[in-house]
Amino acid sequence: MTVTLRDVRMIYGTGTRQVRALDDVTVDFPPGAFHAVMGPSGSGKSTLLHCAAGLERPTAGAVSVGGTDLGGLNETALTRLRRDRIGFVFQAFNLVSSLSAAQNVALPLRLAGHRPTPERVAGALDAVGLADRAGHRPSELSGGQQQRVAIARALITAPAVVFADEPTGALDNRSSRQVLHLLRRLADEHRQTIVMVTHDPVAAAVADRVLMLADGRLVDEVADLDAVAIAARVTELELAC
Amino acid sequence: MLTRDRLGTFVAVLLGTAIVAATLVLLTSARPRLPDRFADLAVLVQSPAAANRPDAFAEPVPWPAGTAERLAGRLRAVPGVRAVVEDRPFYAQPVRSGRPVPGHTVGYGWSDVTGRLLDGSPPAGDRDVVVDRALGVPVGGTVTLLTASGPAPWRVTGHVGTAAVFVSGPVAARLSPGVRVLGVAGRPDPAAVRSVVGGDGTVLTGDRRAEVEPRADARTRWIGLQVLTATTALAGFAGVFLAASTSAFAVSQRRREIGLLRAVGATPRQVRAMLYRSALLVGAAASALGVGLGVLAAHLLAGRLVHAGIEPAGYTVRWWTWAPAAAFAAGPLVALLGTAAAARRASRIGPLEAMRAAEVEKRPMTRLRWLAGLAAAAAGTAAAVATAVASDVSDLAQYSMLGAMALVVAATLLAPVVIPALVGVLLRPVRGVLGMLVRESALTAVRRTASTAAPVLLTVAFAVFVTGTVQTSTAAYAARRAATVDAAAVLVPDGTPGLHDAAAGRATLRTQVYVAGTAVPALGSADLPPGTALAAPTGAGRVTVTYPDGVAETLRVTGPAPPETELVLPRASVRAHDPSALAPAAFLPARPAVTAPGAEVVDAATYAARTDTEDDRLVWTFTLLLLAVSAGAGALAVANTLLMSARQRIGDYRVLRLSGATPGQVALTAALESALVVAIGSLLGIGTALLALIGSAQSLAAQSGRAVPVVVPWPLVACVVAGCLVVAVAAGALPARAARG
Repeated sequence: MTVTLRDVRMIYGTGTRQVRALDDVTVDFPPGAFHAVMGPSGSGKSTLLHCAAGLERPTAGAVSVGGTDLGGLNETALTRLRRDRIGFVFQAFNLVSSLSAAQNVALPLRLAGHRPTPERVAGALDAVGLADRAGHRPSELSGGQQQRVAIARALITAPAVVFADEPTGALDNRSSRQVLHLLRRLADEHRQTIVMVTHDPVAAAVADRVLMLADGRLVDEVADLDAVAIAARVTELELAC
Repeated sequence: MLTRDRLGTFVAVLLGTAIVAATLVLLTSARPRLPDRFADLAVLVQSPAAANRPDAFAEPVPWPAGTAERLAGRLRAVPGVRAVVEDRPFYAQPVRSGRPVPGHTVGYGWSDVTGRLLDGSPPAGDRDVVVDRALGVPVGGTVTLLTASGPAPWRVTGHVGTAAVFVSGPVAARLSPGVRVLGVAGRPDPAAVRSVVGGDGTVLTGDRRAEVEPRADARTRWIGLQVLTATTALAGFAGVFLAASTSAFAVSQRRREIGLLRAVGATPRQVRAMLYRSALLVGAAASALGVGLGVLAAHLLAGRLVHAGIEPAGYTVRWWTWAPAAAFAAGPLVALLGTAAAARRASRIGPLEAMRAAEVEKRPMTRLRWLAGLAAAAAGTAAAVATAVASDVSDLAQYSMLGAMALVVAATLLAPVVIPALVGVLLRPVRGVLGMLVRESALTAVRRTASTAAPVLLTVAFAVFVTGTVQTSTAAYAARRAATVDAAAVLVPDGTPGLHDAAAGRATLRTQVYVAGTAVPALGSADLPPGTALAAPTGAGRVTVTYPDGVAETLRVTGPAPPETELVLPRASVRAHDPSALAPAAFLPARPAVTAPGAEVVDAATYAARTDTEDDRLVWTFTLLLLAVSAGAGALAVANTLLMSARQRIGDYRVLRLSGATPGQVALTAALESALVVAIGSLLGIGTALLALIGSAQSLAAQSGRAVPVVVPWPLVACVVAGCLVVAVAAGALPARAARG
C-alpha cells in the first residue's frame, strides 16, 4: 500500500466548540491508481488529505506513506519525506512568483541539495506540455499553465504519491479539462499514484475510484461512474445530512 | 528573492551604518593637536603632571619662576639647542567698539622663535602689544585690552595672523608667572635633553608634543567622545530595532510563499538559512552605501562640530582605515540581529499556510513575545532602580539610557496587549463607517498595528527621553542655584570668560591650586583674612597650597568650605599668585548705574538660569544632534513600514472601492489608519520615556535633597509627533491613491 490511514481521528477545538473533522477513518490508497475524495463542504475531505500527506498530525490513529509511519517523524524528517516521496498540487497560489517556470519545477530538488540537469527540468515541463514556457514567470502564464507547472514540480522528485487539493477549483472549463486529462495520463502511462480532493463531479469522474466522505466518516466508495451519476450520489448525501 | 521585502532591512541598515560610520570617523579624528605656536619646536618640556584622575583634565603643576629659569638655563647648555622659550599664556581680550572680541581671550609673551610678524616690530615697552591684523588697528595705533586687572590702552607695535595678542617677555612674566611648558628650538639630542631635565618635567618629542594642548581642549574632545559614543550606540540600536520590525513585516507578508516552500520540501532550517543569507547580502550592500554616505557626512559635519563647540578649533577629519571598516562590518551584523526573531518565526510557518486564502492572525501575543517583553520590562525597571540610586553622574546617564532602551523594547513587544484598549479610546470620537473600518482593520491585525507603530514609538520615546533628561537636570540645577542666591542684582560676564577687577574688585575669584600635587578648584574670597583658608573638614589644621605661579604657601584652616566648594582662599593671595584669575559673578545689594566693558547686570533668577550656560548650551547642542539623528531615522522608518504595509493593504482598498467607497473615502480611511498608528506609537512612546525620566528625576532628587520635577519640552515633542504624522499620512495615503485604478 502506498498510503494507509488507520483509525485516524482529527478533533479541532475544545469543549462545546469541539469539531470532529475525521471520525476513525481507515482507508488505503493502493499504488498506481487515481483516487478521488469527494464530499460536501465540511465533510473533512481536506483534513483527510492533510493527514495523509503529513501536513497535519491526527489527534489519534496512524498514517503511513510508502511504508514509513509518519507519527514517529519530527518536523524536519517529515519535511524530507514530503520532499522526497510526496508531490503537491494546490488550488491556488501554487508557484513562487519571483521564480521562472523551470526554477519552480527545480525547487524541490534544489531544496534537497541536488542540482537537477536542465534536461531533467525540461523533460518534466515537456511531460505537462510546457517545454516552450521554461523561462516564463507565473505572471506570464495562464491559470491552467500555472497549474501544469505545479504538476511538473510535483512529479520531478518521482514521488510515491501526488496529492492534489481542488486542482481545478480556480480554473475555467477548458483549463480544467486539460489539467484532468494530464493527471489521467500520468496515472495511465506512468502508473503514478494520485489522491485528489474535489467537490466537482466532472473532476471526480476522471478517477479510478471515488471515496465519499460525510461528517468525517467514509460513507461510500464507487468506481467507474460518470459525472452525472457521481453528482446524483453527492446530492443524495447532502440531502441526507 | 523578493526585492521589495528587502527594502525595509536595506533602509534600516543603510541608516544605521551611515550614522555609525560618520560618528566613528569623527571619533577617531578627535586626537590631541599641537598648538600652532609650538609647530617649529622639536622638543617640548612640560612641568610635572597633576595627580588627578585623567578625566579631571587638570593642568600640570607649574614650575615656580626660579625653577623654570634654572631649567631653561640648563637646557640652553645642551649641544644643538638654539633657544629656549618659556610659554606664558594669560587672559587678554581686545575691546572693539566698546565690546570684548568674542573667542579672542589669550595673550602670550613674544618670542622670535615662535612668533612671526606680518609687519611692524616686536613689543618692547610695558604697554606695547602685537595684535591680530584682522582687528583692524594700525601699527602705532591704540587698542583697549582687557586683562584680569581691567581695561587699559596698549600701543600696537606690529601685526600677526593669529587670534592672540603678544606682549614683551617681562610683561608676560608678570601676567603669567608660572611656567608649564618650555619650548626648545634647534636640533638637540632628545636623550641629552632628558638627562638634563631629569625628574623636573616631561620631555615630549614628535607627535607626543601634542600633549601640551590646553586641557580645556582635551575636555571638549572628551565630551564630544561621550556624545558621539551615545550617538553610535543609539544608531546601532535603532538599526537593529528597525531591521527587526521591518523583517517581521517582510516575513508576515511572505507567509504564504514560505508556506509553499515548506510544502514543496524546505525544512525549517532552510527557511531560516534563506532569510539569514538574504539579510547578510542586503546588510552588506546597504552597509557599503551607508559607509560611503557616513564618511561624506563626517566631512560635512566636522566643521559644524567645531562651530557648535563640541570639538576644539583646528579639528579636521583624519583617516583611519579601521573606522569605516568597523562600520562596514556592523551592517551585516545589524541585519542578522534584526532578522533573527523574524527568521525564527518564519521557520515555524507550516506548509498549510500556502493553502489558506485569508491571512488571519491567530494570536497577537506568543509565549516568546510575552517572555521577551517581560524580560525587557524587568531589565528596564532594574536599570531605572540603578539610575535612582546611582551616585556618579556618568553612571546615572548610562543606566538611564540603557533603561530607556530596554523599556522601548518592552513597550514594542507588549504593545499588542494594550492596543485593543487604545484603539477603542482613540477611535471613540470617530463615528460612521470609516471609524468602523479603521477600528476593525487595526483590531484584526493587532500585531501588524504594533509593528507599524514601533518606529513611531522609538522616535517619540527618544525625543521625550533625551530632551526631557537634559531639561529636567538643567531645571534641577537652576532651582538649586536660585535657592542659594541672595542679592538684588548680579554682575555677570558679558562676552568674556569672567569679571575683571575693574568691574568687580571684591568679587570672589575662581582659580585652580594644587594640594599635594592634586589640582583643586579654589575660590578667592575678599572676606577671608590673609594666611587663612576654608577647606573641607579633614582634621588637619593647616593646608599647603601651590598657586598657579608655582609658589607654595601654608595656610591655617579656620573653618569648613561652603557646600560644593573644596577650598576658599583669601582674595589678595589669589590675585597675587594668579594674575589672570577672574570672577564668575559678583553679587550686589543694589543695581549699579554703570558697568565696565565685559560685564552686565542681571537679576538673581536670570543669573541662576544662566550659570554654566556654556556647558548647558553644549549639552543642548548634543541633545539636538541626538534628536535629529533619531528623529530622522525614525521618520524614514515610519514611512518605510507604512509603505510596506500599505502595499499589502492595496487589495483591501480595492475591495472598498468596489463596495462603493469614493476615492476620497478610501484616502481618508488610509490617512485615518496612519494617524491611528502614529497616535498609538506616540502614546506608548511618551509613556515609556516618562517612566525612564521619573527614574532619573528620583536619582537627581536623592542627590540634591530636594524634589525634582520632570520637565519635558512639549513643543519639541509635539514637533516630532507632527513630523511622524505628516510622514505617516503621506506614506499611507499615497499607495491608497494607487487603488483608484
